[in-house]
Amino acid sequence: MKFTLRIWRQGGPNERGGFVTYLADEVSPDMSFLEMLDALNQRLIAAGEEPVAFEHDCREGICGSCSLVIDGVPHGPDRGVTTCQLYMRRFADEKTITIEPWRAKAFPIIKDLVVDRRALDRIMQAGGYISVNTGGAVDGNTLLIGKDEAETAMDAASCIGCGACVAACKNASAMLFVAAKVSHLAMLPQGKPERTRRVMAMVQAMEREGFGSCGNQYECEAVCPKHVSVRFIAMLNREYLRSGILGTKIPARSDPPHGESY
Amino acid sequence: MSRVKVFFNSSVNSKIVASLAGLGLVGFVIFHMLGNLQVFEGSDAINGYASILRDMPILLWTARVGLLAVAGVHVGLTLRLALRNRQARSVAYAARRYRFASVASRTMALTGSLLLMFIIFHLLHLTAGVIDPPALDGLDAQGRIDVYGKIVHAFSNPLYVGIYVAGQLVLGLHLSHAVSSVFQTWGIEHAALDHLFKLAGPGVALFVVLGNLAIIFAVFLGLLRT
Ligand code: HEM
Ligand code: SF4
Ligand code: FES
Repeated sequence: MKFTLRIWRQGGPNERGGFVTYLADEVSPDMSFLEMLDALNQRLIAAGEEPVAFEHDCREGICGSCSLVIDGVPHGPDRGVTTCQLYMRRFADEKTITIEPWRAKAFPIIKDLVVDRRALDRIMQAGGYISVNTGGAVDGNTLLIGKDEAETAMDAASCIGCGACVAACKNASAMLFVAAKVSHLAMLPQGKPERTRRVMAMVQAMEREGFGSCGNQYECEAVCPKHVSVRFIAMLNREYLRSGILGTKIPARSDPPHGESY
Repeated sequence: MSRVKVFFNSSVNSKIVASLAGLGLVGFVIFHMLGNLQVFEGSDAINGYASILRDMPILLWTARVGLLAVAGVHVGLTLRLALRNRQARSVAYAARRYRFASVASRTMALTGSLLLMFIIFHLLHLTAGVIDPPALDGLDAQGRIDVYGKIVHAFSNPLYVGIYVAGQLVLGLHLSHAVSSVFQTWGIEHAALDHLFKLAGPGVALFVVLGNLAIIFAVFLGLLRT
């Protein structure tokens, strides 16, 4: 197969970027999207040019590193897959493919297609700890969790933190990501003690990072490689309302016991 | 920072308050349409209805001031959110394809702003009578304000029919996303009922818009005349 690639190239965070067109030929339909880029990079290196920087790690859809907006859709045209699991047979031969980085003020570009997604880590940090006692492992069935609850919590926990939801949202909102993280812990007994404080801290951190607000447009769910449902955003709003009404029993200005910032 | 500022720095809080105000406006839009449908009962009914409202000046002005405040809160908060959203995506995509987000949901700030202009025009036109007042003194046989006459005068003119029909389309778009959206903003979701919540927006929008259009076209097509 043969493709024309329009790729966003940008030397560094503060440099001007622009699209550069490359020809990718001898592409096997069984190559993944990233393998196709690997092949292009090999050619660029051989020709003494700078290879295209893009992020990847596991290449099996579980780490959340890969992150390309392919023809205007984060993670490309297939639903429920990451870019590393997208195969070239999915594209029509001789097509022009536009490849851009995640675009959000909270995700500054580091180089080419690589963006800094540490804003998501800082939101996680703000969420803080859960209370689990150390020592010997507890017996399996001392803590009973209903099947439905466990499954729903697992649906939320399957978020891999890729940030495609932010990339897809017209407002660059991180609500689906935050909703997944908040809901997953709020539903399980282990996450209940800090439940009230956690949602407040995480939403506050989200606002601090400069993400937009949720317009209930649901483009995030449509691109999420893990099919995280927007129903979790409703759950986040509920958790937030609940915290606002109950308030936190922990004094807001106490010294952070383990250096967490909230 | 003051407590109010801290409160509204949260987009979730802002959205909850904006949607409460929005729902107030939705209520008004529905009752406004239902009240105006009385033109179909003739000039006596609608002029009587209008004069009853005007005979209770305290109630009328409380409602007007309250409505203005609610609209102010809604517009202020939503435009602030929209501005922050634009900043959050400072560089646009070169290629952009939406897979799910509806046109109505993506154009809320635009339809909202057009709606604001339409509302101001409408107040100057039919409420204050600054724009294109009817030639006569504007009173009916019993000396009441002739609302019926104003409506017939306005919608006999294709120019105003055009403006009001456009206004209704914009209102319909805004409402169709807005009303469904409120459930999500308040955290109301349910496996079986979610599709009803999704239908609520277009349903309410259609109800209001069709009611209003009926009045406009009844006059324009000559079914209602002086
Ligand atoms: C008849 C007048 C109006 C009604 C009935 C109305 C109703 C609503 C409702 C119920 C929402 C949903 C809030 C939510 O997402 O939960 C909404 C959203 C919105 N409204 Fe209005 N509105 C009106 C006028 C306006 C005006 C005049 C503006 C702006 C100038 C405006 C701008 C917006 C925007 C930008 C949103 C989206 C907020 C967001 O999702 O972040 N609206 N409206
Ligand atoms: S919610 Fe989905 S799209 Fe968003 S970060 Fe998690 S896995 Fe990625
Ligand atoms: S490289 Fe790990 S999810 Fe794609």
